[in-house]
Amino acid sequence: MSSHGAFTSVSARRTFARPIPASSSTPSPPPSAAEKAKRDWPESVRHYVQRAFAAENTIASIPRQEMEIKLKKIISNSAENNTLGTIDWVKLPLPQQMILEERARPPLISANPPWGNGLAPLSLQETNVKSTDTSSKKRKSSEMDISQNGQEKIPPWRMASVRNVFEDRVTHPDKRQRNDVAAKVSSKSHHNLANRKKRFEDGQSGYLSQQPFSPSKASTPQDVDQGPIIGRSQDLEKRYFRLTSAPNPDTVRPLLVLEKTLDLLKRKWKKENNYSYICDQFKSLRQDLTVQHIKTEFTVSVYEIHARIALEKGDLGEYNQCQTQLRALYSQHLGGHPEEFKAYRILYFIHTSNRTDMNDVLADLTPTEKRDPAVKHALDARSALALGNYHRFFQLYLDTPNMGAYLMDMFVARERLNALSNICISYKPDVKLRFFTEELGFESDDESARFICDHGGQSFLEERDGEVRLLTGKALRFFETARNVAFKKVDIKGQI
Amino acid sequence: MEVLCREFWHANQEGSGSLLAATISPIAPPSYLNRLDAIYHDTNAASISKDISYSLTKTAHAAIQYPNPEITSWTEIYSAYWYAIGAILAAEHTTTRPDWTKVYEAWKDVANTVIKGYSSGVLEAWTLPVLYTVGKHLRSFAIKADEHARASGTDASFNAGGLQDDIAGDFGKNEKLEDAARVINRMFTLCISDRAPLEESRKWGLYYITNLLFKTYFKLNSIGLSKNILRALSASRTDMPTLDSFPRSHIVTFKYYVGVIQFLEEDYAQAEENLTSAWHMCHRSATRNIELILTYLIPTLLLTRQQLPSPRLLSPYPRLGALFAPLTLAIRIGSLSAFDTALAEGEHEFVKRRIYLTLERGRDICLRNLLRQVYLAGDLDEEGKRNTRIYVKDFAAAIRLGEAGGSAGNMDVEMDDSGSGSGSAGENNDEVECLVANMIYKNLMKGYISRERGIVVLSKTGAFPGTGI
Repeated sequence: MSSHGAFTSVSARRTFARPIPASSSTPSPPPSAAEKAKRDWPESVRHYVQRAFAAENTIASIPRQEMEIKLKKIISNSAENNTLGTIDWVKLPLPQQMILEERARPPLISANPPWGNGLAPLSLQETNVKSTDTSSKKRKSSEMDISQNGQEKIPPWRMASVRNVFEDRVTHPDKRQRNDVAAKVSSKSHHNLANRKKRFEDGQSGYLSQQPFSPSKASTPQDVDQGPIIGRSQDLEKRYFRLTSAPNPDTVRPLLVLEKTLDLLKRKWKKENNYSYICDQFKSLRQDLTVQHIKTEFTVSVYEIHARIALEKGDLGEYNQCQTQLRALYSQHLGGHPEEFKAYRILYFIHTSNRTDMNDVLADLTPTEKRDPAVKHALDARSALALGNYHRFFQLYLDTPNMGAYLMDMFVARERLNALSNICISYKPDVKLRFFTEELGFESDDESARFICDHGGQSFLEERDGEVRLLTGKALRFFETARNVAFKKVDIKGQI
Repeated sequence: MEVLCREFWHANQEGSGSLLAATISPIAPPSYLNRLDAIYHDTNAASISKDISYSLTKTAHAAIQYPNPEITSWTEIYSAYWYAIGAILAAEHTTTRPDWTKVYEAWKDVANTVIKGYSSGVLEAWTLPVLYTVGKHLRSFAIKADEHARASGTDASFNAGGLQDDIAGDFGKNEKLEDAARVINRMFTLCISDRAPLEESRKWGLYYITNLLFKTYFKLNSIGLSKNILRALSASRTDMPTLDSFPRSHIVTFKYYVGVIQFLEEDYAQAEENLTSAWHMCHRSATRNIELILTYLIPTLLLTRQQLPSPRLLSPYPRLGALFAPLTLAIRIGSLSAFDTALAEGEHEFVKRRIYLTLERGRDICLRNLLRQVYLAGDLDEEGKRNTRIYVKDFAAAIRLGEAGGSAGNMDVEMDDSGSGSGSAGENNDEVECLVANMIYKNLMKGYISRERGIVVLSKTGAFPGTGI
C-alpha cells in the first residue's frame, strides 16, 4: 500500500485545494480541514483518503464530486464524535462503495429523522455491500496487525518494552529470559510505580542537588524505568536507604563487589552478631542486586542467608519478605535450597494456623519434595498435630533438621498447653512430672516444672514419695483456659 | 441490526429480562448460529452508533420521543457489544494466536456501559438478567485471557527495576481475572446501594452477583475477600427481602458458597447447616451441583456427627463414589492401614478440593472404631457385663495390627508389646496412651487412663458415645 501512497497523496491534496479555498493554506490532505486547519490526521485516516482517490478504486457511475462530499462527511463526522482513533479505517468501506450501496437500496423512510443532523446518508447505511464484505475478509490478517500497531494511547506492555532497549546493553549472556520478564510487568504495578514516582518527585531534586558530583542524569522520573544499571561503587559496606529516585550507579556496587560484601557480612555476623547492622547491610545488598537485575544463584544465596539470620533472630517480617522472594526465585530454578525453605513454609503455616495456605503448600509439593527429609519432617509434624498426636509431635520437635526449630519454638508452648489439657482430661488421678518432661519434649524435670509454674499451675504440683506429680483432675479447667488463650490468633507481619 | 433491535423491543414489550439478556449474549443461540456474524457484518465502525440508534427508533412500536435516554443508553451498550463481537469473531476465526485479552477488554467496555446504564437510572430492575449475562461472560473471558497470557509467557513476573528493593513482584498470573473481580464488585455495589422501593430494587440481583463474585474469588484463590461481601450483606440484611423470596437457584448457590467458606474456616456447625439446606433445595437433576455440595457436606458430617455416606447415597454419583468410597470403607471397618492408603492415594484430589485437612481427621473415627472392636472382643463377666478395664498393651496390639494392614477382626493374635513390632508409629505404649487420651479428649471415648497400672478404665455406660455402646 505504501508503494503507491506517495503518488496518490499528491493528487488528493490538489483536489481538495480546489473546492475549498480556505484549506489551500494547509498542506494536510483531509477534507474537513478547512476550519481545524493545523490538525494532524492519523496515518490510517490519510491512507483511507488516499485509497478513496486511488484510480483503481474509482467507480465510473459516481462523480468525483459526490464521492468527495461523502468522504468529507465521514471524516468530519468521526472527528466530531472523537472516533478517529477507534474506527478501523482499513476495514471501513470507501465512500464510493457506501454511495453505491445507498443507491442500491430504496430509501427506508421518507424524511430524515430529526436526529440525523443532515447526515442521513451515513445512518441509512444499514447493510454492507457484498463486495466490501469479501474484500475486508481477505485482508483480515494484515489488518489485525495494523490495528494492533495503531497509534492509540501506548499500552502498558509497550511502555515496558521500551526498557528492553537498555537491557541489551547489559552483559549477562546467561539471562536471556529477562527480556520477556521485563516486558511482563503488569500494568497495575506500573501504575503504582508512576504514582509513587510522582509522590517523590518534589523531594527528589533537593536530594540530588546535594550530590554535585553525580554525573548521571537520573533525576527525571522516566529514567527510573529504564532497565538495569551497572554499579561503580567499590565500597564493601553501604547503609540501606529506600529508593526515592532512580538509583545512582556511583552508589551501587557491581556483582564482584557484592560477592565480597557477602563474605564480609558472613564473617561479621559470626564475630559480632549485631543483627540491626546485618539486617541493614543485607537490605542494601538486596537493593543493589535488584537495581542491577542480577538474578543468579548468588541472589538466591543472599536471600537464603538473610532469611536464616532473620529466623534466628525471630524477625518474622524480614523473614517473610525473603521467603516471598525465594519462592519466586526458586520457580526460576536458579539453585539454592528450595526444600529447606519449603519445610520452613510448612512449619510457618502451622504457626499461623493458616489452613488455606497450608492446603496450597500441600498442593504445590511434588512427590520428590515430599521425600526430602526436611519437608517430610515438617509434614509429619503437621499431621501429628492435626491428629492430636502430641507424643509424636514432640519427638519430631526434638529432632528438627536445619533451622526449623526456630519456627517450631514459636508454637511449641501453645502445643504444650494443648497436650497438657489433653492429658489432664484423660489421665486419673495424677501423673508423674517425669511423664510430662518426656512426652512434651522438655529437656529436664526442672524445665517442665517451670513451664507449669509459669502458667500458674504450681498449686497442682505435689511431691509424694520423692516424686513430683501433677494432680490432673484438678488442673484440667485451669489449663483448658490457658490453652484457649494461647490459640487465639497469631499476630502476623509481612505474611506471604 | 434490525433483527437485534426487534429482539430488543420484543423483550421490552414482554418485560422479560431473560429475553433482553439474550440480545446481548456473546454466544449465538442454537436456533440462529449465524447471529454474531450477521450483526457484525451488518454495519461498520463509522456508522455503528448512528445505525443502532436509528434502528432502535425505527423498530419501536410506539412513537418515541427524542432525545430518549433509554435509546441513548442502549445505543452505547449495543455499540460496545458490536465491537466486542468483532473481537470475539476475530479470536474465534484466527488460526494463529487468538487475542482473548482484546476480547476481554472489549467485553469490559460492554460491562461498563451496562453499569453506567444502571447507575444513571435508565435501566430498570427487571433488566437485571442483562447484568448477569454481562458479568458471567466477563469472568469467563478474563479466565481465557489469563490462560493465554500464561501459556505465552513465564509464570512469575519480576520487578525489572523501578524503585523496588526486591527482585520478585506480585505473581501476576491472573491479571484480567483480578480486574474482572473489581468490575463485578462494582456490580455488587450497584445492587446493594439501590435505595428504590423493594419492588423495583436492584437488590433482587444481589445474590446472583454475590455468587459470581464468590466464584471469581475462589478461582483467584483469595477466598478471604468473600468475607467483606458477607459482611456487607449482613449489614444491609434489615432492608433486604427475605432469603426465601429470591429465586431458588440463587439461594442454593449462595448457601453452597457460604457453607464452603465456613467449612474452610473450620466452622463446621454453620457449614453443616448451610450445606445441608443447599443440598435439600438443590434441583435433583443438577447432578454437578449436588456433587459439589456433597463434596463438602460429607467431610463436614464426618466431623460433626461421625456420619459416613451410605453406598446408596453415593451410587448416583460415580465421581463422588470414587472420591469417598475407599476412605469410608476403611473408617467403617476400623482399618488404619486402609485409611492411610486411601488418604495417600486420594491426596491429590482431596488437596485440590481443599478437603484433605478435614478428611485427615477422619482417622480419629477410624481409630475409635478399631478400639471399639477391642472392647467388644473382651470377655463378659458372670452378670453378662463387659469388661471395662482394658490393658493399654491390648490397644497397642490392635493399633499395630491395624497399621500393619491386618484386619482388626482377628484380635485373638497375641502380640508381644515389648517387641519392636512393625516399627511404625505404634512402637511404644506411650504413643498409644497419647492416642487414647485424644479419643477421650475429643469425647469419642469415655473413661480415663491409669498410667500406673497400664490400663484404660472405660465408662460403664456409653463408653463409645453415639455408637450404641
